[in-house]
Amino acid sequence: MAEITSTKILLMRVSFAALAILVIFFHLLPLDTLARNWAPPDLLMLLAMAWTLRRPDYVPILLLAALLLMGDFLFHRPPGLLTLLVVLGCELLRTRAQTQHETTFVAEWLSVALVIMVVTILNRFALSIFAIPRAPVSLSVIQMFATIAAYPLVVLFSQGLLGVRRLSAAEAEVMGGRP
Amino acid sequence: MAKDRSQREDYTTPLRRLLVAVLCLCLVALFLVWRIDSPRVERFRAQLIDAVVPNMDWAMVPVTGTVNLFRDFQSYQRLADQNRELRSELRQMRAWKEAALQLEQENARLLDLNNVRLDPKLTFITGVVMADSGSPFRQSVILNVGARDGIQDGWATMDGIGLVGRISGTGSNTARVVLLTDAASAVPVTIQPSGQTALATGDNSAAPLLTFLENADLVRPGDRVVTSGDGDVFPAGLLVGQATLDRNGRMRVRLSADYERLEYLRVLRHHGTQVIRDPGGLVVPTPGTNTPRSRPENLGAEDIPPEAGNGAGNG
Repeated sequence: MAEITSTKILLMRVSFAALAILVIFFHLLPLDTLARNWAPPDLLMLLAMAWTLRRPDYVPILLLAALLLMGDFLFHRPPGLLTLLVVLGCELLRTRAQTQHETTFVAEWLSVALVIMVVTILNRFALSIFAIPRAPVSLSVIQMFATIAAYPLVVLFSQGLLGVRRLSAAEAEVMGGRP
Repeated sequence: MAKDRSQREDYTTPLRRLLVAVLCLCLVALFLVWRIDSPRVERFRAQLIDAVVPNMDWAMVPVTGTVNLFRDFQSYQRLADQNRELRSELRQMRAWKEAALQLEQENARLLDLNNVRLDPKLTFITGVVMADSGSPFRQSVILNVGARDGIQDGWATMDGIGLVGRISGTGSNTARVVLLTDAASAVPVTIQPSGQTALATGDNSAAPLLTFLENADLVRPGDRVVTSGDGDVFPAGLLVGQATLDRNGRMRVRLSADYERLEYLRVLRHHGTQVIRDPGGLVVPTPGTNTPRSRPENLGAEDIPPEAGNGAGNG
């Protein structure tokens, strides 16, 4: 039994990494070289948050940081900044997830939205402190709202297709108190 | 809340906390190092892209092709309309082509007449766009040519018609082109009939702003915008686009390059414009000659009759 669960966990970790690489890959495709005045949701951040809230053991922090850092480097962003913020946001959600086992989805969505807002604001704040050129405010705001709006879809996808759902109390017992 | 916190202590071991703290410190350090010593980290970034992106290429090409195919399918629905439009455009183009041919011949004649020496160093390397920046906040593309092909930072990149951007970051097989629309891009330009100089500054929109215009009244929408070659980064005279007026009354450049589909880009080899440093010596007569020169004795008698005969023959 224990062996099966550990194999499953490993498999899900690999699939998380594969999913993240797929997202990066699709971002890199040279389909839209025209400057746009809207921004798509940040799927990498959403995946990290949705999975962290459901099964923290599928998203080990080193793997998460490595994937985000790769995104930072490939997308020509200041390396480390957004990774740091998202990792911290996920840590916050992880500690909260254990207290709010029985909360509704709306409450979860609200807390995720709050974290996304704080991450966006802190990101812009840090960029302005270090005098790094920033994108227009409108673009950041659009991306923030798009990211928040896309959260239920990501959750639906993760839960429905990949079976990433919260452990019930009985299952948690079987797992032997694995955090 | 306080009670929850005490319960949580069982779950998170101190070791894990330490790991998170160390990780965060490492990320902060990376960011600071990047901010302080940008070139080194950027070189690392170029190497990383060089290692990663060509490996994805086998998958990227078919996926991009498929998506573009589906987009083309959408345009097939409007085929009849497009056909009619194209026909009328073609008629206009014929007239233009005729004019262009005549102008080309005239231009060649004039160049020949003036004995103009075209810059032989301005050759180009053509690269294929492999990937874009992947982020809506950054406007850049990655080409499949790099330091191996002799690409250097700062070289100008064009599509067939107009300037597209500047090389910034070269790996051995890849090079990043920062597009003119990127917020970090500023190119010195001249606006054609008036000769005003300005900077074409990208701001993440499709048309870069014209900033530092000395006299905006002299510039009209529709004027040609070409690179000025100031700052010794780009060669002078590359077509950038046309000046337009946006809704807020600011001058922008409508780019001539087709940004909708950047596929093949030319990287212009440019080894810097040569600077004349020598101020030039004083032109003095060689000692021994007397100034003003004495008038030749047999001036009126000699110069006309023999020249007339020979000159006509050599012509």
